[in-house]
Amino acid sequence: MAATKSQGRAFTLFIGGITAATAGVATLATGTGKAALFLGLAALLFSFIAFIRIKPEEGKVPKAVESLVMKALGVLFAVGGWLIVLYGIHLTSSVSGRFATTLVGLAVTLVGVLYFLPTAASKNAIWKG
Amino acid sequence: MRIARITSSLCLLAMLLVAGAGIVARADAPSASAAELKTAAGAAPTTATLANGDPGGSLTGTVSDVPVGDAKVGLTLGDVANQVGQNKIGINFTWTLVTGFLVMFMQAGFAMVEAGLCRVKNANHTYMMNFFVYGCGLFAYWIVGFAIQMGGAAGNGNLGGLQSLNGEHLISLFGTNWGVFGQNGMFLAGHTYDVGVMVIFLFQMVFMDTALTIVTGAAAERWKFMTFAVSSVLMGAFTYPLFANWAWGAGWLSQLGTNAGLGKGYCDFAGSGVVHAVGGLTALALALIIGPRIGKFNKDGSSNAIIGHDISAVLIGCFILAFGWFGFNPGSTLGASGAGCLRIGSVAVNTMLAGCTGTFGALLYMWVLKGKPDAGMSANGLLAGLVAITAPSGFVNPTGSAIIGFIAGVLVCLSCAFVENTLKVDDPVGAISVHGTCGLWGVLSVGLFADGTSNYGGAWNGVTGSVTGLFYGDASQLIAQLIGIATLIGFVFSFSFVLNWALDLFLGQRVSAETEVAGLDLPEMGALGYPEFVFKAEPDFIVAANKAAVA
Repeated sequence: MAATKSQGRAFTLFIGGITAATAGVATLATGTGKAALFLGLAALLFSFIAFIRIKPEEGKVPKAVESLVMKALGVLFAVGGWLIVLYGIHLTSSVSGRFATTLVGLAVTLVGVLYFLPTAASKNAIWKG
Repeated sequence: MRIARITSSLCLLAMLLVAGAGIVARADAPSASAAELKTAAGAAPTTATLANGDPGGSLTGTVSDVPVGDAKVGLTLGDVANQVGQNKIGINFTWTLVTGFLVMFMQAGFAMVEAGLCRVKNANHTYMMNFFVYGCGLFAYWIVGFAIQMGGAAGNGNLGGLQSLNGEHLISLFGTNWGVFGQNGMFLAGHTYDVGVMVIFLFQMVFMDTALTIVTGAAAERWKFMTFAVSSVLMGAFTYPLFANWAWGAGWLSQLGTNAGLGKGYCDFAGSGVVHAVGGLTALALALIIGPRIGKFNKDGSSNAIIGHDISAVLIGCFILAFGWFGFNPGSTLGASGAGCLRIGSVAVNTMLAGCTGTFGALLYMWVLKGKPDAGMSANGLLAGLVAITAPSGFVNPTGSAIIGFIAGVLVCLSCAFVENTLKVDDPVGAISVHGTCGLWGVLSVGLFADGTSNYGGAWNGVTGSVTGLFYGDASQLIAQLIGIATLIGFVFSFSFVLNWALDLFLGQRVSAETEVAGLDLPEMGALGYPEFVFKAEPDFIVAANKAAVA
């Protein structure tokens, strides 16, 4: 399908929505701010409805269906490892202890990013077929 | 002689001010000095003298150019002190703005490098992504991104204090307060309509935009323009500013020193992590989601080289980037006067050296192991060295910077091979390796090579002393850097992945097979990049893959 007027309209709505919403947040204490936030969020909602509607018009995309579980696991490991690192800061105050927890956390994170997510992306890749 | 005495007393006064002595109130001005000032004012060249011209420059810029607060009283020491303060801030404003302008020009370099490494049928689209990312990022940063990043970053003496940016949101964790995001500065309105805030906004904005433009390279030749625009707005509004706040905007990573006793906290002088790793890791997230270009990989998993259309654009673009880096790194002192800012010379030389040794690292690696001094990889070697030195440039010595750059040059070659052959991720320009891998290496290298000689006002991130790495005696600094790396991979990558995954579900990240085969220029942009070119037939493996993908 490529670029179309519908895409242009949806993007314009998105930009208008995010501008109004953030202006609303910036002036939330005022009545105008609350109204701007409401209008902005509504515009954002409508822009995403428009995005979803025009998405099928794109046609066949050269991508296979990917494993949701593998993707979720990848993100889980990535975030989980980071949380281990954060917890390690409070777990001990020794340099070697923190070094160890940081490395463990990093390793867990890397398993998610370098194993699960690439595997999810390439398991059913169309270039394999 | 008298003028010499006055000059020396002015210099002494300037030094006192720079050392934090504060503004000398006009009422406290010593009368003896006031008399000297009066005499000096009387000895200043008259307008009649100046009307004859000043070819030597010795008559221009004298005591008569110092604004007088009260004409009845005449020139006082307070007037001179105020002018000294103005001069310091003026020098720093000018320095920061000019270096910011240099960084802005890097967009042109990125556009040339990325477009040159893509096929001719996608040139217009690739250039346009690099062009429009500037607008998307700037707009998003103005409305909300800057507030999230810098809204709580008050206290920078180089730029006059920035006191209106005093809204960092804190959370209490294990009995300690940690900064999470800033709150002041949306639309640069209200109290943030301030001269100093405008300067820091411009400087930080061009940094943010550099991170955004990195992503377009990894997703080139297949990214739907509409989704690219939405993704870039969201990255400029949220992804980049969040991490930048944690590192530079009084956020929790910068507090690792004060709150957890880890060195001087997470240290990233000019953004190997904040700018390049954020961009590179987001590029990896997007490349995983969007998938490889048609014809990149064969059924057996081996990869094909898809050659770019213009190596001259790539190499010239690299030089533009290297030039812009003199804004990136030396500009990150946020001033050229006071608080250790004279280290700018050292920062600039470190930047040059690392770029040089990075080129050597990549060129020699390719030449020795692959038989040719590959131009594309040499270009990436230069960029890798520059990316890697960005974080440590303000903390290391020239030898350290040369080592860091050389390692980055070799690392980028290894990383490109790993990303392509092991992860099966298609990155047309090597953005993931240049900015992601070498950005992380740069962050790590601060914890190793920082030599403890820098002195930016006597403290960094609120911790007294100089940033010192493991090789110079502070192991805890290395841990702070590793925590930064874990945050970049664990949080920034994950955040970017989930965000772009959601956009893939709602908008679709990738163009159709027909569009990709035809080239994105006509379907997405409505015009070819080079309408008078006669396209050469693509290699057989691409033709076969194209047919299969469309079928």
